[in-house]
Amino acid sequence: MSSRRSGVKGLRAMGAGLVALGLLASGCGGGSDSGDGKVTIRYSWWGAQDRADLINKTIDLFEKEHPDIEVKTDFQEYGDFWTKFNTQAAGGNPPDVFQNSYAFLRKYGQKNLLLDLNTQVKAGNLDLDDFRQGLGKAGEIDGKLLGVPVGANTFTLVYDVKAFEEAGVTPEHGWTWDDFDEAVEKIGGSKDDFWGASNNGGVMYLYDLYLRQQGKAFFTEDGLGFTEADLKKWWGDYRKKTEEGLLVPAKQAEQVKPKSEVSAGLSAAEFTWDNFLVRYTSETDRELALAPIPTTDGERTGQYLSSLMLSASARTEHPEEVARFIDFMVNDPEVGKIMGYNRGVLPTNAQFEAYEPQGPDAMIAEYEKSVTEYLEPITPHPAGTDTVEAAFLSIYGSVAQGTTSVDDAVAQFFDEAKTALGS
Amino acid sequence: MRTETPASATAEEERGAEQARRPAPPATPSTAPPPGTARRRARRETLAGYLFLSPWCVGILLLTLGPMLVSLYLAFTDYNLFDSPRWVGLENFSEMFSDDRWWQSVRVTAVFVLVATPLKLAVALGVAMLLARPRKGQGFYRSAFYAPSLIGASVSVGIVWRALFQDEAIVDRSLSLFGWSGGGWIGDPDWSMPTLVALSVWQFGAPMVIFLAGLKQVPRELYEAAEVDGAGAWRRFRSITLPMISPVIFFNLLLEIIHSFQIFTSALVIAGPGGGRAGGPGDSLLVYTWYLYEQGFANLRMGYASAMAWMLLAGIAVVTAVLFWSQRRWVHYEEGGR
Repeated sequence: MSSRRSGVKGLRAMGAGLVALGLLASGCGGGSDSGDGKVTIRYSWWGAQDRADLINKTIDLFEKEHPDIEVKTDFQEYGDFWTKFNTQAAGGNPPDVFQNSYAFLRKYGQKNLLLDLNTQVKAGNLDLDDFRQGLGKAGEIDGKLLGVPVGANTFTLVYDVKAFEEAGVTPEHGWTWDDFDEAVEKIGGSKDDFWGASNNGGVMYLYDLYLRQQGKAFFTEDGLGFTEADLKKWWGDYRKKTEEGLLVPAKQAEQVKPKSEVSAGLSAAEFTWDNFLVRYTSETDRELALAPIPTTDGERTGQYLSSLMLSASARTEHPEEVARFIDFMVNDPEVGKIMGYNRGVLPTNAQFEAYEPQGPDAMIAEYEKSVTEYLEPITPHPAGTDTVEAAFLSIYGSVAQGTTSVDDAVAQFFDEAKTALGS
Repeated sequence: MRTETPASATAEEERGAEQARRPAPPATPSTAPPPGTARRRARRETLAGYLFLSPWCVGILLLTLGPMLVSLYLAFTDYNLFDSPRWVGLENFSEMFSDDRWWQSVRVTAVFVLVATPLKLAVALGVAMLLARPRKGQGFYRSAFYAPSLIGASVSVGIVWRALFQDEAIVDRSLSLFGWSGGGWIGDPDWSMPTLVALSVWQFGAPMVIFLAGLKQVPRELYEAAEVDGAGAWRRFRSITLPMISPVIFFNLLLEIIHSFQIFTSALVIAGPGGGRAGGPGDSLLVYTWYLYEQGFANLRMGYASAMAWMLLAGIAVVTAVLFWSQRRWVHYEEGGR
């Protein structure tokens, strides 16, 4: 075999892929019963090996208690996961149950790909009574229950304790963006190759919080909840700070991927989901802690609880078994002990109480407890959220790199968002 | 040819061999096979031929021709993989021209084709000329130079390449010894493309092998005659080597250009996981096939992706046609052949 292919052949291969999809779509769902009356369900999720090890343990437990059900698993990295899922779903052969997140609920809900789990709740196969903080209904969209949370997380600032101490800054609830900027400036001035904060201007969820602090939101029911002028200010400020050398330069940040800038020792502070602390601490020797989101008015953070969920395919042949599986995964205390806060703080009281968090998990639990009273309801994430998020991150990337002007970038983002949201 | 019939040969084989030895006009009609046999055997052979061909035929119909037609149809539709395709006429094609990222992908791919292809061929020819002369360990060197192109398209080599060119990795550190501290290659939109080109050029093995074969075909006498006439090395290269191997150059050029148009894996791996969005820093590595893939499988716009695929096919066809047209001017075929 040679590594070269003729042009025509390559295109044909591409076409072949397309039609293979077409052929599959035309109908071969494929039964999954093995002969001995045992039901097999397929379960896929995104993540890495550490999560896989934990999940496999929980499945062993499930299969022991439900000898009539066999669970086949499959996992990918986040980006690859959705590619594979789309391909399988288009072929009429999606996994029976899979990891999902709020950003994707509407996208697949609208295409009738997700099973409405409410019927299974009514049938008594899935119990939602024990969920903390109203999480049980977090996956309900337009009256349909499209996902059940397996963990809850909220946004936070992961920071380098020593760097902040040296700068004499204590981040606490109610601190403002000005306080934050001041800290960043102090820390950044002190050392070479170490900056006060990561360059987070492209993080959609952070900008969402900032907008919510002003009574707006990133998304409304049918599109974007902010104007071009709003975004020009946000990206303009970030661009200015980048040029002043206060934030990690884009080139350096790009180089250390997939590590975060904080765990790579480039930056003292980074906005992200709180459950990421588990990963970050495993990547670095620095002492990291969680701080509340800075505010505009000294009070409102705009924060809400989000979650990773389990959703079921509308085409599954075993809705009852799938519901029993989800029920086990969210309610069984042993599962909670095994998973810890790998996917966020445990969703049900039974699991939450069964697990005694240690190390970073304890910090996450502490943090979520401390922000409980400031949490607000989540705003809608329309279909196309994932594409908009990727565009926001990537287009800001070229602003941070200095290759695109803020005005051009904003125009490009609105253009792409319009296509993605179909408005 | 076998002279003795081994014991294992079948009767039929023996008969065939006997028949082959027999002179054309049968001397004694009575011992000739009946008139139908030859035709029957021919038919049987035809049948066998088709039988052996059938996997390929089925393959091309089911996996190539059919999909191509479907993809052609999809190019004129809005298709998100789940709902049935909706006919939109030429909308996908007209959208391309107003899509900034599509233009970016065309630019990136064009730059890659224009820079990587000539460089790769020049290196391949240079190394081929070095390896053409007999020397000790020739076999080893040839395989050593060829190896990268065997593994070159693979993901693992992309990962190694990424590791080499990362910030403060080996390339960056070696260069800083000479006072050049760029602070990384892959993360810098100005330098990510050269990194990709370097990876492509490094995989010069396949065209090199073809060049080697071409160089062997150039008659020694020509060089000897030129030397007698006092031609220097450069002159011999320009006036003998280049024209004599121009058909090989043409062949390599054609294949490499087409190959370059389709660059995918190495760009993907070098630019790292994009979280659903391709392109690397500032979309500086947004190669065409990759943007196509993103539109099709991440953004669920299979109609648009199909339209992009057909535009690529058209583009490659045009470039190929231009190349064929131009070959009259610079490709020299020997009259009559040998």
